[in-house]
Amino acid sequence: MNSEKRLTLYELNNLVKEVIECEMPDEYWVEAELSECKESRGHCYMELIQKDERNATPIAKASARCWASKWMLVRPYFERTTGQQLHAGMKVLLKVYAQFHEAYGFSWIITDIDPTYTLGDMAHKRQEIIRQLKEEGVFDLQKELQLPLFCQHIAVISSETAAGYGDFCNQLVDNPYGFKFQTQLFPAIMQGEEVEQSIINALEHIYNYQLSHFQFDAVVIIRGGGATSDMSGFDTLALAENVANFPLPIITGIGHDRDESILDMVSHTRVKTPTAAAAFLIDHLKTVLDILNDSQEQIVRLAQQKLAYYKSQFATIAELLPRLFSNVKVRQEARLDNLNSRLTHHAQQKITHYQLSIINLENRLPILLDRRLMTEKHRLQLIEEKAKSLDPTLLLSRGYSMTMKDGKIVRDPQVLYQGDEIETRLEKGTIKSIVK
Amino acid sequence: MNQEQKYEAAFAQLQDIVRKMESDEYSIDEIAVQLKEAQRLIKFCKDKLTKTEQEIQKIQVERE
Repeated sequence: MNSEKRLTLYELNNLVKEVIECEMPDEYWVEAELSECKESRGHCYMELIQKDERNATPIAKASARCWASKWMLVRPYFERTTGQQLHAGMKVLLKVYAQFHEAYGFSWIITDIDPTYTLGDMAHKRQEIIRQLKEEGVFDLQKELQLPLFCQHIAVISSETAAGYGDFCNQLVDNPYGFKFQTQLFPAIMQGEEVEQSIINALEHIYNYQLSHFQFDAVVIIRGGGATSDMSGFDTLALAENVANFPLPIITGIGHDRDESILDMVSHTRVKTPTAAAAFLIDHLKTVLDILNDSQEQIVRLAQQKLAYYKSQFATIAELLPRLFSNVKVRQEARLDNLNSRLTHHAQQKITHYQLSIINLENRLPILLDRRLMTEKHRLQLIEEKAKSLDPTLLLSRGYSMTMKDGKIVRDPQVLYQGDEIETRLEKGTIKSIVK
Repeated sequence: MNQEQKYEAAFAQLQDIVRKMESDEYSIDEIAVQLKEAQRLIKFCKDKLTKTEQEIQKIQVERE
């Protein structure tokens, strides 16, 4: 044991270094996933990992680094192409060579990164998320929402300090039509790893805010002014689900030139920038205003048409009216004349009738009088004859006498007493005697 | 409307007088009174017709 040659750690590591340098002098393209990525003093330090496809347990791990001289060239190209910063969870294709440092151990030294590989992987992931959203039936939910006509109460999700947020607010306030918008900021982190959860939290705040305050018409998610264009946070399933299922229309203006993010795809409307989002809201209201103005004009025009129609109708009737009325008048006058003539005719008839009656009476009167006179005469005659037949002188002339006492006729001798003076009337004179 | 009703009422009254006259419902004493009333109603009706006609013409002149 002791006779064997002893090596210092440096010597041993140096041995390894030499072996590696001799045996692996080439550069290799390697596919790996980043589990860590950080910059320090211009160099980039990464941790690479390969997971088992079935259970995701790591089956290979290694450190990798990209020296500042390379990194300053590789990084901008990568970010420009993919629209993303290198970050944990990302699949990358790296050109590496092996290096073993006596003090720092093994490391892959990166000389190039192929962004198209990452892009392909990202696209694949995005397609997977889209497929899942469609399968859940939520992909088009936002598109089915209708932006209210008077879309003026806006909940804004943005970073509080972002220049884009200021632009958005100014644009709304300074709109040329004088529309009034009411905005309420729900701050969120719009870059880096926390984007997803931060926006989801903001949406939740908006939802709860509405329960206790007032109803918003729409939600605007904006981002702008930042130097980087890392869009990975906007391409997650959880955020897409939250946005798709949100009950208000969501307008995105998260500013990027590359393909749409999934957030853009599921949102109600996507525009590029915060100012474009403001312009969209102003245009929407302007469209409504135009519709109102058009409707107003149309109503006025229709009303005028209708009025003109009635006017012309009235003119026709008005021209007809005197003629029609003169017909009425003639007819009415004829009726009146008819009534009048019937009236006078009957009145005349009646008067004539009464006149005839009077004449009739007049004629009858003398006859009646004569008849009456005759009757009276006759009656008088009868009475006269009757009276005549009763005249006592007639009896006296036939030899009858009449005995009277004190001027009264005596019919019974019993009523006479001795010494009474009686008068006996004869035809020619009277005899006075005393009863014996 | 009101004036139209008045015309109708007058005309109806007139018809009533004629009907009563024709069915001998009036005494001699009443005849003269009713005739006088009938003449008044006829005049009223005719005046109303003339007045209406004039008004229509006036309205038309104003319109033109």
